[in-house]
Amino acid sequence: MTDRPITDLSDDELAQRPFDELVVALQQVVQRLEAGSAGLEESIELYKQGLRLHGACEARLREAELQITELGRRGVVGAEPEPAEG
Amino acid sequence: MAPEQPSLWDQPPSEPEAEPPAPAPRATPRILRVTDLNRRVRSLLDADAVLADVWVEGEVSQPSFPPSGHCFFTLKDANSQVRCALFREELGRVAVPPAHGMNVIVHGRVRAYEAQGVYQLYVESLTPAGAGDLHARYEALRAQLTAAGLFDDGRKRPIPRWPRRIGVVTSPVGAVWRDITNVLRRRYPLVELVLSPTAVQGVTAAPAIERALRRLYAQEDLDTIILARGGGSLEDLWPFNEERVVRTVAEAPVPIVVGVGHESDVTLADFAADLRAPTPSAAAELATPDGTQLPAILGRLRDRSGSALLKLAADRRRFVDAERRALAGLAPDIGAARQRTAELVDRGGRVLADRLERRRLVLAATADALRTLSPTATLERGYAVARAPDGRILRDASETAAGEPLQVILSRGTVETRVERTRAGGTEELLR
Repeated sequence: MTDRPITDLSDDELAQRPFDELVVALQQVVQRLEAGSAGLEESIELYKQGLRLHGACEARLREAELQITELGRRGVVGAEPEPAEG
Repeated sequence: MAPEQPSLWDQPPSEPEAEPPAPAPRATPRILRVTDLNRRVRSLLDADAVLADVWVEGEVSQPSFPPSGHCFFTLKDANSQVRCALFREELGRVAVPPAHGMNVIVHGRVRAYEAQGVYQLYVESLTPAGAGDLHARYEALRAQLTAAGLFDDGRKRPIPRWPRRIGVVTSPVGAVWRDITNVLRRRYPLVELVLSPTAVQGVTAAPAIERALRRLYAQEDLDTIILARGGGSLEDLWPFNEERVVRTVAEAPVPIVVGVGHESDVTLADFAADLRAPTPSAAAELATPDGTQLPAILGRLRDRSGSALLKLAADRRRFVDAERRALAGLAPDIGAARQRTAELVDRGGRVLADRLERRRLVLAATADALRTLSPTATLERGYAVARAPDGRILRDASETAAGEPLQVILSRGTVETRVERTRAGGTEELLR
């Protein structure tokens, strides 16, 4: 992964980041905007970043599919399936 | 187990057994092989309808669990005891494993074990005799583990709000796993599930659950673990009251949510969990944010950033307006300054004018004085100036001579004349 600030990432890179990171970044953008300490030009830049993060989050939500891994099924060492009863 | 006893006829009998039976008075005794004897006893027992289907209550003593997976124990009451065998398949279906001192009711059949010449009770099902016994064990273990600090509130960790990977320990068949995946597909499909399958019922369940948990504990990057099982009787849920399971739950390296049974079922594993969920589905819900709310939440965040920007712009505009008003507020001062300046100028002007006036007066006086000195003023008083033709002003009569032209300048006009004669004196005549 990368240490660059999330707002420096391209749209493709953004799509690889964990969803919660995007949400946190969006929240931070909102907080900085609401603090009102940023200048007008910087605020406009922040607002654009917020829109981008929002779009990335929405895309992730739209496309999300539950991923399931089962231990002991695909050669996980030391994990033989257990007899199972409901 | 024991190799089949060789027939008595195959080898010479050992000393004690070789002792021939006491001679019978009537006929030659029929000598049986041990195998034959045991087989006969066995067939006798097998033929008994009551022994083929018995329910027996007693206290478990010295249960053993050899590697074969079977379980052997003695069932006893105050006066008697009987050996019992609980084979692996049946053991797997038993909710609560037999424990020393436990009162149970067993169901099974009595048969002879020919190899050892004993009869045994082959147990098909085993249940604790009365819930009271289980409750007593539950309370005893609960008190013990509470005292050990396993259930302390201080041990509870918060459940991560935005999990990326959740480990799930449950049975992969049946409703519970399906419910959990359904809930998460609908609620938060962004998460990755790692299923560690296990049996959740029967005497083998407790060690299986422990193994399944430990498999997850060895995983990296798990945010949360869910341990779940559907509803059932106290006996069905008993594995979740087993000390090894409860202790393993308490050892979880990441926060663990336990959802076993229904709302009213509280197992000791629940107490050891970081969070107790009333049901498996609730466990899935408690372990994840509500994704169905996320679009609205995200929308609000976006709106808030928009509002903040607009507010900032409005603030800036107000600031500019305020600055402008402040500047406008300064204008009267400028006027006053201008007025003051004007006043100063006026005063200065007045002072200057006064000075000028004084100068003018002085000047006028001077002019008057000058005027008195000027020849015209003298002429005005009746004096005349006599000039020679070369312009010399005559002060002495000797400076001219008779017949010389003479110019006499009066106050008004000039007389061109000629000198008749000259003489000294005459000034005194003016005073006469």
